[in-house]
Amino acid sequence: MSDDRDAVELPDTIELPRLLDFYELQTAEHTGIHEFYERLHEGRLSTTRCSDCGDVQFPPRIVCPECHCDDLEYVDLPREGELFAFSMLRAGAPLGMEDEVPFVTGIVEVGDVRLSARIDGAEYDDLAIGDPVELKVVEIDGPADHERVFYRFEPR
Amino acid sequence: MTRSVGIVGGGHTRWGDREATYKDLIQEAGKATFDDVSGVGPGDIEGLFVGSVQPERFAFQTHVAPMVAELLGVAPDSMIARTELACASGQAALRYAWLAIAAGQLDTALVLGVEKMNLPDEHAAEAQSGMTNVMDREFDGVNGLNAPPYFAMVAQRHMHEYGTTREQLAQVSAKNKSHAAHNEFAQFQEEVSVDDVIDSFPLSPPLCLYDCSGITDGAAGLILMSEEKAREVTDEAAWITGSGQACFASNSVNNLPSMSAWPQATTAAEQAYDQAGIDDPVAELDVAEVHDCFSISEIVEYEDLGWVEKGEGGQFVEDGRSALDGDIAVNPRGGLLGCGHPLGATGVSQALEIYNQFRGDVPAERRVPDPETGLIHNLSGSASVHSVMTMARGRP
Repeated sequence: MSDDRDAVELPDTIELPRLLDFYELQTAEHTGIHEFYERLHEGRLSTTRCSDCGDVQFPPRIVCPECHCDDLEYVDLPREGELFAFSMLRAGAPLGMEDEVPFVTGIVEVGDVRLSARIDGAEYDDLAIGDPVELKVVEIDGPADHERVFYRFEPR
Repeated sequence: MTRSVGIVGGGHTRWGDREATYKDLIQEAGKATFDDVSGVGPGDIEGLFVGSVQPERFAFQTHVAPMVAELLGVAPDSMIARTELACASGQAALRYAWLAIAAGQLDTALVLGVEKMNLPDEHAAEAQSGMTNVMDREFDGVNGLNAPPYFAMVAQRHMHEYGTTREQLAQVSAKNKSHAAHNEFAQFQEEVSVDDVIDSFPLSPPLCLYDCSGITDGAAGLILMSEEKAREVTDEAAWITGSGQACFASNSVNNLPSMSAWPQATTAAEQAYDQAGIDDPVAELDVAEVHDCFSISEIVEYEDLGWVEKGEGGQFVEDGRSALDGDIAVNPRGGLLGCGHPLGATGVSQALEIYNQFRGDVPAERRVPDPETGLIHNLSGSASVHSVMTMARGRP
């Protein structure tokens, strides 16, 4: 009986669309904050500041959340910061990060900005709140047709 | 508000790693809910509110509120919506149903929360992707910042700033999991000691596995009615006396006001207390179901719900003030730590627990003695949003 049935063929694995890639597409055709990524390519971590009210945001924006002015300028953040908090991801990694666990992830204060970041080059037990850390930029190989980068920090 | 609104009944599925689909869970909870309320059937439902967070990812389904209507044979002719507010989606559904009835738009509503989170083992990372995009995916999720490391840093900062101890965190987990040992619907039904918590897998230090709620399949439902309608079907209800919500303009780490305090919880609680006429919550609340997604959460909540001074949350559990026979019995259901946390269903289940405590319909081992007032609390995401609802026992 079953020999006569039509078979529907599905692939064993389905290539996941890049919507499940945590890293954003970074060029001008994809995002309004491409200048942030262009500066990061050059090794500079930056963010936006409102030309009108002076509000500094992070993450960078295209509209100031304080006064809704859309004339924002990019300002560089310090390369050196301080570890505000940290923990580890030992299990429960999302797609694309399964092979990277365990790793340290934390919150870093750089200038007036507090941001989350991976902490490279250190074990959890070696770190303490207040430790000095320094910017590093990593290249992201993955499902995109342009070179991508992202920021991390490491002990200074 | 112009009209009183009561919870007149509800029902629950078994929670856990279930051999059941999203649609199975909806049907189980719907049946249990209607079975609980004699005199109310699917044809009475005028409004349907469904709390569900990521059916698109976990069950590959969207437009789920009409699916609930179809599966349960209800045809809402006044309001229908799904609410998504991450971990507080269930309470959001409940809050909208309350508002709709209180405002006179309808008299009878079904609130149903449901989440199917467990995928086959080889697909666990797909489910985790749906948990790692709750904060800003581009700038936080990308750093692996899903819930365990995030709340671990809240714990680390709270310990650093206030001297909260590893043992105090474990006392929260041991308390709540031991309640869940007597809850037939709970995912984790084993007694757990403080040492068991501290010795469990160090998932995201300083938090261990038993400091964390679960990845859970489950659903729960409630029927809400206006006072006038409730009078026709029941002798007892849980009256919603207050409901508050507050959010900072924040979802990503940089824009949170604190990593060790949740002032939005205070704002939301004060709204609810004010509506309910509660001046002294510790003296006036008998039972509370608060959002213990992680052990540290409950400690911060003791403080920011206004029960103790900032920094004294650890002492509150250590002194037994949140035990069943304490000042406020906290999480007698077993909490998220013991029951698990099927995101959209949690707030619904918490409210049902308050109603069950009011009517004495819980096992003796975790029954609160004669409660007259209760509270539910949920946070969502990076704890940027807090939702609080108060209830009182009474006759329609």
